[in-house]
Amino acid sequence: MSRQVAIPRSASSARNIEDIIPARSFTNRSHTSPVRQPRIIHANVDHPCLPAPVASPPTTRTRRSSSTAPRAPRPPVPPSSPVSFPVPAYLNHSSLRHLLQTDVSPTLPITHRQYLSSTDSDDDSNVSPPPRDPGPVTSLDHPLQLPTRWDSETCHQHLSLSDNGRELTFQSASSTTTDSNAAAARTVQPIPPACGIYYYEVKVQSKGQKAYISIGFAGPNVRTSRLPGWEPDSWGYHGDDGCSFATEKKGTAYGPTFGLDDVIGCGIDFTTHRAFYTKNGVFLGLVFENVGKGIDLYPSVGLQHTGESIKVNFGHEPFKFDIEDYVSEQRTQTWKSIINSPLNPSIFSKEKTASSPSNVAVSDEQTKLTINKLVLSYLAHHGYVKTARTFQKQIQDVEMFDAYTESTFAPGSGPGSASASTSHTPGSLEFDFERDISIRTKIVDSVLSGDIDTALSETQKHHPGVLAAEQGLMLVKLRCRKFIEMVLESAELRKKMAGSTVEDREDGVFGDDMDMDVDDQTASVNGATMNGSTRHPSSSSAKAQYEQALETAIKYGQALDKDYRKDERPIVRSIFKKSFSVMAFYDPMNAGGVTAEVAGHEARVELANELNQAILKSQGRPTRPTLETVYRQAAVSIHYLGMTGVGSAAFADMQKEFLEG
Amino acid sequence: MHEVQLTKADMNRLVMDYLVIEGYKSAAEEFSQEAHVAPPVDFDSIESRMNIREALQRGDVEDAIVRVNELDPDLLDTNPELYFRLQQQKLIEYIRQGRIMEAIEFAQEELAARGEENPEFLGELEKTMSLLAFEANSSAPSEIAELLSPGQRMKTAGEVNAAILESLSQGKEVKLVSLLKLLSWGETMLSERADIPSKVIL
Repeated sequence: MSRQVAIPRSASSARNIEDIIPARSFTNRSHTSPVRQPRIIHANVDHPCLPAPVASPPTTRTRRSSSTAPRAPRPPVPPSSPVSFPVPAYLNHSSLRHLLQTDVSPTLPITHRQYLSSTDSDDDSNVSPPPRDPGPVTSLDHPLQLPTRWDSETCHQHLSLSDNGRELTFQSASSTTTDSNAAAARTVQPIPPACGIYYYEVKVQSKGQKAYISIGFAGPNVRTSRLPGWEPDSWGYHGDDGCSFATEKKGTAYGPTFGLDDVIGCGIDFTTHRAFYTKNGVFLGLVFENVGKGIDLYPSVGLQHTGESIKVNFGHEPFKFDIEDYVSEQRTQTWKSIINSPLNPSIFSKEKTASSPSNVAVSDEQTKLTINKLVLSYLAHHGYVKTARTFQKQIQDVEMFDAYTESTFAPGSGPGSASASTSHTPGSLEFDFERDISIRTKIVDSVLSGDIDTALSETQKHHPGVLAAEQGLMLVKLRCRKFIEMVLESAELRKKMAGSTVEDREDGVFGDDMDMDVDDQTASVNGATMNGSTRHPSSSSAKAQYEQALETAIKYGQALDKDYRKDERPIVRSIFKKSFSVMAFYDPMNAGGVTAEVAGHEARVELANELNQAILKSQGRPTRPTLETVYRQAAVSIHYLGMTGVGSAAFADMQKEFLEG
Repeated sequence: MHEVQLTKADMNRLVMDYLVIEGYKSAAEEFSQEAHVAPPVDFDSIESRMNIREALQRGDVEDAIVRVNELDPDLLDTNPELYFRLQQQKLIEYIRQGRIMEAIEFAQEELAARGEENPEFLGELEKTMSLLAFEANSSAPSEIAELLSPGQRMKTAGEVNAAILESLSQGKEVKLVSLLKLLSWGETMLSERADIPSKVIL
C-alpha cells in the first residue's frame, strides 16, 4: 500500500501500467536456472545421465562431477519419438491457457520473435539469434512450457530413462538398501504457476519388497541422490509408509501406502501453494504448505531399489482422477473470493485515498456511484447522447426515490435508520455531460459535414488549447481541410454546371448545399439566381458560380500557403502537398484510392476523430473512456500477476467472466 | 506489452449488463438502439423487477408478492427462504405501522409454522417479534432496530431481485462491479509484490 504512487489525474491517461512498467523488468524467475531441452540419448554418449550440477550455467553444465561413479553405458536407444501431446483439458481453466504448451520443438514460435522485435526494439537479445532458451524474458506473452518428460540430464545415474522420457527404472549393481542409494528425477521443464493447478499421475509398474517410492515436487537445485521430501525445497508422498515428507527426514502420516499397479496422482494448487494427492482416482486431501513459493517447481519422483519402476502420465493419457472437475471447482471458488473481497479505496481518486485510510472498505453505495459515473462518462465519450440523458435522469430519480422513502421513516425509530441514511445526497452525481457532449458533438459533426468554419470557431471558443497545441498542428489540419472542402465545393459546382446543360429537372440544387460558407460567397455574387430555388439557374450563371468558387478556393489556398511557408515540419509539408494535390482531380470526392483518403468522407471521419480525442486530451480526460481503461488496466495487472507466479490470477478469467455469455 | 483483446462491442455489452441488472430500463432501451446492442432480456421484465423493488422499498409487501407471482408463479413455491423473507418483511411493516394485533395474528398464522420447520427462520422470527417489546423511540439493540431501517427493506428487495435474475438465468453479479473488484484485487496484489508503481484512475 505504502508503495503506491499517486499520479495526478490529468496524467492518468498516459500512466497505464502498460506505460509504467518497462518490458525489461519482467524477468521470469524460471530463467534464473538453466532451462534445458530434452535430448535424444545416443548410445555413444558415455554418461548420458549425469548428476545435476548445482546452479551452474548451461555452458558449464557438461563438466563432469568427480563424484560421479563409473557406470555401465546405457543400451542403445532408438531416436526419440515425439513427446508432444495436446495440452490437457483441465488446463483450459487457466486464463493463460493460450500460452501453455507441451510442444518442445526447437524453433521458437514465430509470434514470440515478432513480439521481441516489435515491442522491445532496444533489447539486446534481438541482436543474437534467438536461442532455444528464451533467454532474458522480455515479454509477458512468451509461451510457457509444460513438463512433458523426465530430464535425462539431471536424473540420477541409477535411473534408466525410457526413450519417450516417461518411464524410470532403478538399476544398480549394489544390493544394499540405504538412503544414500536413493535416486530421483525431475522433469525438464518447471511447472508454470500460470496453470493455476497442475496435476500429474504416476503408475507403479514394479516394485521391490516395499515400494520405497516418493512422488512429489522438487526445486531446481535439489540433490537427486535423495528421495523427494527429504531435502530442502522438496515434497513427497512415500509408498512404503504412506507418509508425507516436506523437507524432513521423518514423515507425517498422510495416506495409505501404495505399491504395484497403483496410480498416484500429484497436484499443486498455486492459488494456495498447497499440494494434494490421489490414489487410484480417489482424492486423499490437501497436504503441505508453501509448496514452491519463490522457486521453480518440478514434478519429481524418487526410487530406492533395484527393479522399481514407474511410468508417468503428464496428461497425454486420460487421468484416473477427475482433475477437470476439481480444477473447475477451485477456479470458481478462487473467482468468488476475488470478487467478494472488499474494494480497496486506493483504486479511487487520490483525494479520497488521502483522506481515508486504505483499510476502510468501500461501501456498496460508493461503488454504485462510481460505476454510475463511469458508465455516464462512457456514454458521453462515445456520444450516446440519448442514453446518457436518460440514464442521468434515472439515476436522479432513484436518488430522489431513495431519499423520499427514507424521509417517510419516523425520526429516531432506531439507530439503524440513522446510519443507513447518511450516505444519500440527491444529485451527488455531478457530471455536466450535456454541455460537454453538445459542444463536442457539434464540433465533430461540423467536421463530418464539411463545415470547417464552424468547427474552427467552436473549437477556438471552447477549446483554444487544442488549436494551439503542437505549434498549431490541429489548426493547420483544419485549415487545409477547409481548403479541400472549398475545392470539393467547386468541383460539385462544375459537375452541376455540366449537368445543367443536359438535365433540366433538378430542383433546389444550391439550396441544399451543405457547405454554407462557400454557398454564401457564391450567393453574394449571384444573388439573383440563388434566391429563386424554383427556377433553374442558367448554364452561364452556373459557370460563373463555379469559376467564382474555384477562385475563392485558390485564393484561400494561396493565403494558407503564405501563412505556413516557413513551417518546415515534415508533417506540415506533407499535409500541404496532399491537400493541394486534390485540385488535380475532376471529382476528388469520388476519385477513390489515395485521393479519397485525403479528400473523401473517410478523411473527414479521421479528422473528426482526431479532433474529438484532442479535445478530450486537452480537458485532461483520457482519450479512451475510463471504463475501458479500467478493463485494460485490470487485464494487464492480472496477466502480469499470472505470469509472475500468482496462481490465483490464472483463475481470474476475464475473457470468460466478462466477455462471453 | 500484452495486448488486451477488447472491442467497443464488448464494452457496450458490459454497460448493457449493468443497465439491465440495476434496472435502468429506459436507459437500456435507448442504449440498445443507439449502440446497437442486442437486449439480453425482455425489457418488460426489467420494469417488473423494478416495480417489485419499489414496492418493497415503499413497504408494500403484499403488492410485491402479487407482482412476483405475476412475473414467475413458481418462484416463491420453489424458494421457501425467499418467501419467508417476504413474509418477515410483511410482519415488520405491520409492526412499523403499529398494527400490533394484525402483526401477532399474521405471525401466528403464517410464520410460526415455518419457524418450526427451520431453525434459522425461527431465529429471525423471534428477532422480529421482539420488536414488539420496544417502544418506537426506545433504544432497542441495534441488531433488532435494524429491522426497521430502510436498509432492511433494501436487503429484502435485493434478495428478491437476485432470485428473479437467477430464475431468468441472467447473472446476478453485476459484471462491472466484479470488474472493479478484480481491478482492486490486482492492484493490491501488485502493491504487495514489487516496486511496481500503481496507478490511480477513478
